[in-house]
Amino acid sequence: MSLRYLGRRAVQALITIVFVLLLNFLLFRLAPGSPERVLLRNPSLTPQAVQEIRARWGLDKPLVPDQLVAYVESMAKGDLGYSFKYRGEPVVDVIASRFWPTIILLGSAELVAMVFGLALGAYAGWRRGGRVDRIGNGLGLVLYSMPYFVIGMPLVIIFATTLGWFPTGGMFSLGVAFASPIDQLLNFLWHLTLPLATVSLALIGGYSILMRSSIIETRGEDFVTTARAKGLPEDFILRKHAFPNALLPTVTLIAINLGYVVGGAFTAEIVFNWPGLGTLTVDALNARDYPVLQGIFLFISVAVIVANFAADILYGYLDPRVKTE
Amino acid sequence: MRQLQRTRAIRLAAAFFLTAAVLLPAAATATAASPLVLREGTTQDLDAMNPFNTNLVSGYEAYLLNYDLLVNFGPNFEAVPGYAASWTVSPDGKTYTFKMHPGMKWSDGTPATSEDARWTLQFVLDAVKAGKSIGVGALDPYVANAGITAVTAPDPETLVVTLEQPNPRVLQMYVPILPKHVWGKQTLATIGDFKNDPPVVGSGPYQAVEWKTGEYVRFVRNPNYWGQQGAADEVFLQFFKTTDSMVQALKSGELDYAHSLTADQLNALKGEPNIVTVAGGANAFTELTMNGYMKDIPGGGASTKALRDPAFRDALGYAIDTKVIVDKVLAGYGVPGTTIVPTGGASDRWHVDPTNPRHFDIALAKQKLDAAGYKLNAQGERLDKEGKPLNLRLYTTSTGTEWQQAAQFIRDWFGQLGIKVTTQVFDSATLGNIELPPEAGAEYKAKWDLVIWDWVLDPDPNNMLKDFTCAAIGSQSDSFYCNPKYDALFEQQNKALNEADRKTIIGEMQQMLYDDAVYHVLYDEPQLDAYRTDRFGGWQNQPIKGGFPIGGGQSSYDYTLLTAAGASASPSAAAASAGPAASSAAGATAAAPTPAPSASGGGGTTGGSNATPLLLGGIALVLVLVVAAVFIRRGRAGAKEEE
Amino acid sequence: MSASVAPITPASLRAERWRLRIRGWRDFWRRFLRRTDGVVGLAVLLFFTLMAIAPWLFVGQLETASTATGPRLGAPSSSYLLGTDEIGRSIVNLTIYGARTSMVIGLLATFITIAVGALLGIVSGYAGGRTDTVLMRITDFFLILPNVVLAIILAPILLEVMGADAEFLGIRATLLVIVVVIGLTSWASTARIIRSQTLSVKERMFVDRARVIGSSGTRIMRHHILPNVVNLIVANTVLVFAGAIFTETTLAFIGLGDPFQPSWGQILNAAESAGAPGLGAWWYIVPPATCVVAVILAFTLVGNALDDILNPKLAGRR
Repeated sequence: MSLRYLGRRAVQALITIVFVLLLNFLLFRLAPGSPERVLLRNPSLTPQAVQEIRARWGLDKPLVPDQLVAYVESMAKGDLGYSFKYRGEPVVDVIASRFWPTIILLGSAELVAMVFGLALGAYAGWRRGGRVDRIGNGLGLVLYSMPYFVIGMPLVIIFATTLGWFPTGGMFSLGVAFASPIDQLLNFLWHLTLPLATVSLALIGGYSILMRSSIIETRGEDFVTTARAKGLPEDFILRKHAFPNALLPTVTLIAINLGYVVGGAFTAEIVFNWPGLGTLTVDALNARDYPVLQGIFLFISVAVIVANFAADILYGYLDPRVKTE
Repeated sequence: MRQLQRTRAIRLAAAFFLTAAVLLPAAATATAASPLVLREGTTQDLDAMNPFNTNLVSGYEAYLLNYDLLVNFGPNFEAVPGYAASWTVSPDGKTYTFKMHPGMKWSDGTPATSEDARWTLQFVLDAVKAGKSIGVGALDPYVANAGITAVTAPDPETLVVTLEQPNPRVLQMYVPILPKHVWGKQTLATIGDFKNDPPVVGSGPYQAVEWKTGEYVRFVRNPNYWGQQGAADEVFLQFFKTTDSMVQALKSGELDYAHSLTADQLNALKGEPNIVTVAGGANAFTELTMNGYMKDIPGGGASTKALRDPAFRDALGYAIDTKVIVDKVLAGYGVPGTTIVPTGGASDRWHVDPTNPRHFDIALAKQKLDAAGYKLNAQGERLDKEGKPLNLRLYTTSTGTEWQQAAQFIRDWFGQLGIKVTTQVFDSATLGNIELPPEAGAEYKAKWDLVIWDWVLDPDPNNMLKDFTCAAIGSQSDSFYCNPKYDALFEQQNKALNEADRKTIIGEMQQMLYDDAVYHVLYDEPQLDAYRTDRFGGWQNQPIKGGFPIGGGQSSYDYTLLTAAGASASPSAAAASAGPAASSAAGATAAAPTPAPSASGGGGTTGGSNATPLLLGGIALVLVLVVAAVFIRRGRAGAKEEE
Repeated sequence: MSASVAPITPASLRAERWRLRIRGWRDFWRRFLRRTDGVVGLAVLLFFTLMAIAPWLFVGQLETASTATGPRLGAPSSSYLLGTDEIGRSIVNLTIYGARTSMVIGLLATFITIAVGALLGIVSGYAGGRTDTVLMRITDFFLILPNVVLAIILAPILLEVMGADAEFLGIRATLLVIVVVIGLTSWASTARIIRSQTLSVKERMFVDRARVIGSSGTRIMRHHILPNVVNLIVANTVLVFAGAIFTETTLAFIGLGDPFQPSWGQILNAAESAGAPGLGAWWYIVPPATCVVAVILAFTLVGNALDDILNPKLAGRR
């Protein structure tokens, strides 16, 4: 893989990020609503105090160029502004504290889903028309049609409320002193299980379907016929030849769908009171905390763009047909 | 051969899952001994640790734990020792001399003297004089309303406050006394930006040492607290997204106190072992506000002038069955509303029933409307005096489920009067914007007719009464009521010499607002809480009759009454009267964890709290990769077989 | 094969074209009916469409707090087949009316998505060159963006821009915002799909170059490209509809719905606020959730079936 190829892809990713920044800026400054009004139900706020607050947040200056310049400057410094809801807390801090729980949940769910979903889809597609296919595909379709929280709510009712096997929410049992880090880890995993199951199931649905159609296409390819002619067993052909080939386009699709997946994971977080970016987004939405919403959008977009970039590179590395010079 | 690989892999996976299944439930219960932690849950997120910057009940609750008021609110919201141990009044009633607790210290060990109190009060006084607000400006009025002219600290244990006239309000100031050595560098311009990050230094019973925004605040006992120590060594104030998860946590024993449940959840908890339910008064009311703005607003304003007419508004009141609303929407909890001072909570002592209360009578409402000049046309639509059929927009918030339900009732009742009502929800911030009149800014058009919302009062009704003054139009007034007679009464009650007089005047004000039908108070809100009794005892409602123990942002008194379950209840009277006795009791208390992040004991979530999830995440990832590797190896081994 | 050779007139050409079209339709139907998944999906969709168009066929008026007569959070019983919510409204009633709100929002959002996506896809594919590159960059940009997050953020902003009490065609601003927001965030994949089809049609077209000499761009797009892309658009519309309902349910669950005209997502939101999961009131959750899944699944099945029939893939097909 040449440096030029890498460079070109990197530049493309950067340009996209710049567009995201611009979009971000436009979105929020376009909103004529005044965030200081969030304070309004306070018995003693005078119009003069409101003006002061607006001035402090720079909301009384004209959009272009003052606010745009200020925006670019602060972006360059890594300053994402201050939360409206948590008066004075930098947005970066507010997001940083909620960032890891979402990454852990999403990351582990993606891994689990890739392992099980892709395998399931591959088997189903390979034995097309068979029982495995019908059940697997059917299951995949049903899961794919369920919004993430629709998967989560029954899980809570059955496994947490009724059976009591798992906690109903949160990431840790709070106010509890753990005897050792292992205990803490286990407590964390205990809380992680249901949210992880929810997001994984949702992803498995989508990935199995994706993989299945990919495998079906691959089945008809020449090299498969050749391998069969050589007398190799079906399972072997699937695992060594068909699967890796069918995997490639799927990888790209997985990366493209990341943005979509993030949104779904957010709703799963709500059901489980998981202290990640999803619950933060809903909180910020209800409080009209635009700086935080802006920050989350920026962060997620950049993350998705970077993930796509990585997937692109990976794809170029794996697929010899792609020109990487 | 392939079979063997598969079986081995299956056994490996099975072993992994079995181990996990065995360990995980154990993890749930793995705890170490002590400290005794009070875990309190609420669905209202904390917005700021700086008392001047918070607007929410959670914020008040937090600062009441961190700090003392000069004079605290006791079991029935009467004046009890706070930062000041005792006080005397001069014969002319204009000078109050406060004595501090001898040897009192801040939580960090610095001596707490009258100078801190003087500094705090002077700071607010200066702000009031300069006409500027501190932070969101919710606390400043308390000093102003007390009519303080001067504050001096002649010696470290004495604080002298001079008033412009005798006014008992100086004993009811909802202003926290702040440590000068922490806040002293702040000026009026900078104090709004001071975040007051944990660990907080204060003189209250517990100080915040950790705040994870949106998740929880962790408070640790003040080792130098002058007063009676509650049994809890630590307090966790935990923020839930839904009441549902909060109730679950309470039932499973993960929470000790749940604040603000729904009626159905409360009913479901009755009879649960070790759980007590409380239905107290929330010191808040829900009202139907009518847009009575008296001038035309181009491109905005109410859809009809009828709402400016008290007779019209009054007639509408007869088409509202507050009892039905309480029964059906609140499942019977709560009290049908009357005046703007709610019953059952801290403000109950100021409530005066109206002399001529309205009742539900559709026929009477129709009569009154006809008599006032609002007649029906041939199609059964009620017309305003301009001949237009009445079509009112009723707005409420997107999160206020009870209000939405009440709105449906009102829509139907007004429909029976021939008045069409359309309902819509907005989020609080947008609705606040919509309500504003041009006095708040040229872009505000007050384009609404009816709004259902609520108000939560402070223990002192002053701020609520202020909302109906002429000066409040453009900021807090949403009824746009302006009556010079009311304004005069407002000034008078502020200067009343004793409680009885003040109550009389406030009663007149309530009657005036009721007669002019400024609001239709739908109900006085119930406070539905529940708590466990298997770890903590000594729970007491505040006020004792009709109140609730903690979590209301009104007083932190009841935290000091808690005992460890099994221990006999400590006499609550002790803390109320004893001054010096209390501080010696504090000195005798055994050493408890300091406010600094504890090394081993209290919850492994302190310090490195960002590194821990990372570590855990890494381990989780490794585990999944192991499983994946098992699957892949199986494939490869199988392949090798075939080659 | 006719015995005598009839003169070829415009009328007879048109008649011939109609005959071919009808035969095409019959063919299509026969193939469609053979796919059980598509048929089942279609039946489900028809059922819900009926529910959405004429809810009064199934139940009375939409119950409100004042007309509710049931017990609070009552379990399913003989008088309330699916139980009641926290103020005593029948869940059956709510769910059936929920169909109307969900489907209408889905329909409108789909309309916007397809209109924007197909238009951009065709123009981009046909124009080629610079226009194509620029449009595709924009499309890729929107494709990658996290849609739901963007939707959540756009909603309050659009509401402010539109004015919170705006109304359009009888639809209130709050719901209108959801429609627009779903449309704005979902058009990208449609555009991509339509564009690739347009490209392949364009290639085929150059074989028939003779026919298109002298025609303007718009004419070509309308009369030559569009008919060949329509099949794909139809199949894609159905799938987009599934996605629209999915997104609408998510947004309503988060709290952007209208409690006075609840969609299924809004009912789930209300169930969550009323504490239904913890109180064990499964009947508050299962009906709307099942309907959502059923409708999305149905659309997906029909969409897949249409896709297979209308756009047979040449490679790897057995």
